[in-house]
Amino acid sequence: MSLARFADADRLFVAFCLVVPLTALGLFFIYPLATVALRSITEPGGTIGLGNFAVILQSPSFWRATAHSLIMSGSTTAVVLILGLTVAFALQRCRIPGSALVMGAVALPLLMPSLVQGLGLIFLLGRNGLLTKATGIEINIYGFWGLLIANGLYGLPQAVLIIAAALRSADARVYEAAEMLGTPGWRQFTDITLPNIKFGLLSAGFVVFTVTITDFGNAATIGGDYSILATEIYNQVVGQMNFNLGAVVGIMLLLPTVLAFYLERVAAQRQFGSGSDSAVPIAPTWTPRRDLPMTMAAWLIALLPIVTVGVVVFASFVWLWPYRFDLTLRHYAVKVAGGYDPLWTTIYISLLAGAFGTLLTFSLSMALQRLPRHVVKPIYFFCLLPAAVPGLVLGLAYIFAFNAPGTPVYALYGTAVLIAICNASHYWTQGFLTTMTGLRQVPASLQETASCLGAGLPRILGDVVAPFMAPTIVSVFFFLFMQSMVTLSAVIFLVTASVSVASVSIMRLDEAGFTSQAAAYATCTMAVVIAASIIMRLVLRFATRRA
Amino acid sequence: MQLRLEGVGKKFETILALEDISFSADAPEFVCLLGPSGCGKTTLLRLIAGLAEPDSGRITLDSVDLANTPARQRGFGIVFQAYSLFPNMTVAENVGYGLRIRGETAPRIKARVDELLELIQLPHFADRYPWQLSGGQQQRVALARAVAVAPKLLLLDEPLSALDAKVRVELRSEIRDLQKRLGILTLMVTHDQEEALTVADRIVCMKNGRIAQIGTPQDLYHRPTSRFVADFMGISNLIDLETARRFAPSLLDGYAPNAGEIACVRPEDINILPAGSGACVKTVQFLGNISRLHLDWPGGQLIVEQAGESSLAPGAQVGLEFAPHKHVWVAAS
Repeated sequence: MSLARFADADRLFVAFCLVVPLTALGLFFIYPLATVALRSITEPGGTIGLGNFAVILQSPSFWRATAHSLIMSGSTTAVVLILGLTVAFALQRCRIPGSALVMGAVALPLLMPSLVQGLGLIFLLGRNGLLTKATGIEINIYGFWGLLIANGLYGLPQAVLIIAAALRSADARVYEAAEMLGTPGWRQFTDITLPNIKFGLLSAGFVVFTVTITDFGNAATIGGDYSILATEIYNQVVGQMNFNLGAVVGIMLLLPTVLAFYLERVAAQRQFGSGSDSAVPIAPTWTPRRDLPMTMAAWLIALLPIVTVGVVVFASFVWLWPYRFDLTLRHYAVKVAGGYDPLWTTIYISLLAGAFGTLLTFSLSMALQRLPRHVVKPIYFFCLLPAAVPGLVLGLAYIFAFNAPGTPVYALYGTAVLIAICNASHYWTQGFLTTMTGLRQVPASLQETASCLGAGLPRILGDVVAPFMAPTIVSVFFFLFMQSMVTLSAVIFLVTASVSVASVSIMRLDEAGFTSQAAAYATCTMAVVIAASIIMRLVLRFATRRA
Repeated sequence: MQLRLEGVGKKFETILALEDISFSADAPEFVCLLGPSGCGKTTLLRLIAGLAEPDSGRITLDSVDLANTPARQRGFGIVFQAYSLFPNMTVAENVGYGLRIRGETAPRIKARVDELLELIQLPHFADRYPWQLSGGQQQRVALARAVAVAPKLLLLDEPLSALDAKVRVELRSEIRDLQKRLGILTLMVTHDQEEALTVADRIVCMKNGRIAQIGTPQDLYHRPTSRFVADFMGISNLIDLETARRFAPSLLDGYAPNAGEIACVRPEDINILPAGSGACVKTVQFLGNISRLHLDWPGGQLIVEQAGESSLAPGAQVGLEFAPHKHVWVAAS
């Protein structure tokens, strides 16, 4: 009798670990998105119909924004793929001095709100830009070119990471065989390297396309009159209070992102799905004819984010850009509502989002590991969806779902907790996939041994699984923390006068013309994120010291 | 302590992994589950451990049905091929983990851990982490961890397969000694017939999810009941009835085989007569303590083993003599 009860305790525990995250996803992801769909077909008179779609589809500004979005994202993707392949090839297949520095420089834009690239370009190439003044040539950086560069800087690190991973999975013996057959270096590149990373390149392309078409921060700072879908949603909602038309544009933006996301998954599966452990890694030898030009190219590309970000930090300390270069801290006395309160709020929100996301993805993955395949598959698919939803659409969905007086969830509206939850759902997919991968690496026999020794499920998790997965858990927590620190697109709709976040303050300062103060605020935010990434490294070193 | 299986079966989706498995084992027996990969031996061990549930049949321990007892309530010890030490715990913490779960006091855990580390000859390794140990040492610790809680049944899933040949031979006799000293009923899964012959009191030989034969190592080696067992347990020369009648009539002395039966003759049970004729030496392999000869014989190829180094060279004509009554007749399929 008591034995049966104990067995049930484990089952109950699994059920609990499954139901809590699924309920959370239902309430904080599916339900808000459903409200977007509902709002998009709610006509001004309150009737249900496709009237809103007709309005949007007949509006020339929508088509202009769509064309702009596609052209801008397409060009950015093309440029980023070429630069990304160059950097990744230099890092993985060449011997270049300072490769860690190059990777660090390229990854820099991931550590700050995407507004920062826009700000940096304004300081360099804007009307009062450093380069504009120095050369006397004034180009209009606001618009297509500004967006291309800013989004390119933002997409580059993600492309480099994916392409480098694809390059890393190759087997040195294949190249040795080609060498023995007398294949020249460039033929090895076109005949072996490129075909083998084809799907990695595709995957990188779709990722860059998605982040570019959904990004809002750069569009807000440097987009100028070049309207894109993301700014179109924002203008419909915030500018003209046309919530339902905003929902329609949101759904239109969902189409290319869901498609790109699906194609990305397919491509990633083909590239990384059948990885073999037995490959001999490639150890490139110093070949000046190849490595000297590649070093130059990689360093030049790495210089772009360094200069763009560096100029923002520099400008925040300069008395009057670009006329008086005395150093000062006066811009750090920011003239924005709440001063630095939003920064502290953001840290609080990010800690919460990290905690929620880590706990729930861990609990769900753990439950999924103990359920039959036919149950796991649909849930797994469901967990991939958040990555396909643009932040602006999710933010809009949250207004519809939670700014609804009279519903029980209204109590959450305007709280930091809701923003944290929004961030956790926004970045759910990446956290979930990482946790699943980490959990799969825990040998089944470890858990079974503990079970045979008499340990119940909670005990196995605490004593065996969690210590084994500590590095994964730490990485997921910090990933969510850092993303929450810098995200703008989803939270822009959720901030209120009393609860706001750092990236919104930066945007407001920039909109109000206090560009140097925006730079100061951005520098503070960056400092927090960089500190977090240093702490993460220390914690990871501590967590893996026995591995 | 008696473990008893009655008609145990297990299906994975449509594949029949185990069918009608019945046998029993009593403490302090050492039983090997032996068979080629995919024969279901590991699945069977997992069913006994409670890590998977049978679809049919009963598993009982001292007449108590285990069906409703989850793995963690069974109180069995288990050792896997891949060591499976908790990487975040020291050797002492690993060995003492089962006792800690059972709520033992720290001094008593320490005493028991010290005693066991002494037993597995690793007394100074208490504070090391698994990664600081060799494969053989890790497996000894895993063994100590499994027996620390005085299990009713010790389950070993290919515990030696990941080790170097030399360590493997050492550790298998250590396992056997430990098992004898503690008197624990032990089940070991292995695909290595030599390992099974050396350590087991009894062997359960399995094929395609069914039991092919149960018996002592001597039974299985000298008295196989099927062609599969004869072939799987070491090398056999298989000679069909017609060939035996024509070329080796001595195999039929005192026995009238049924149609379709074949004779299994071990290589060491054939004597070579260097002065005779009738067979021709094809190759000679020197294996150290013995020499293995492949012979062309009118009835087909034969494998014969001689002690020490053979004086014969390929091409030599020799005569053959089958040792009387050392062969068995089994069904051909």
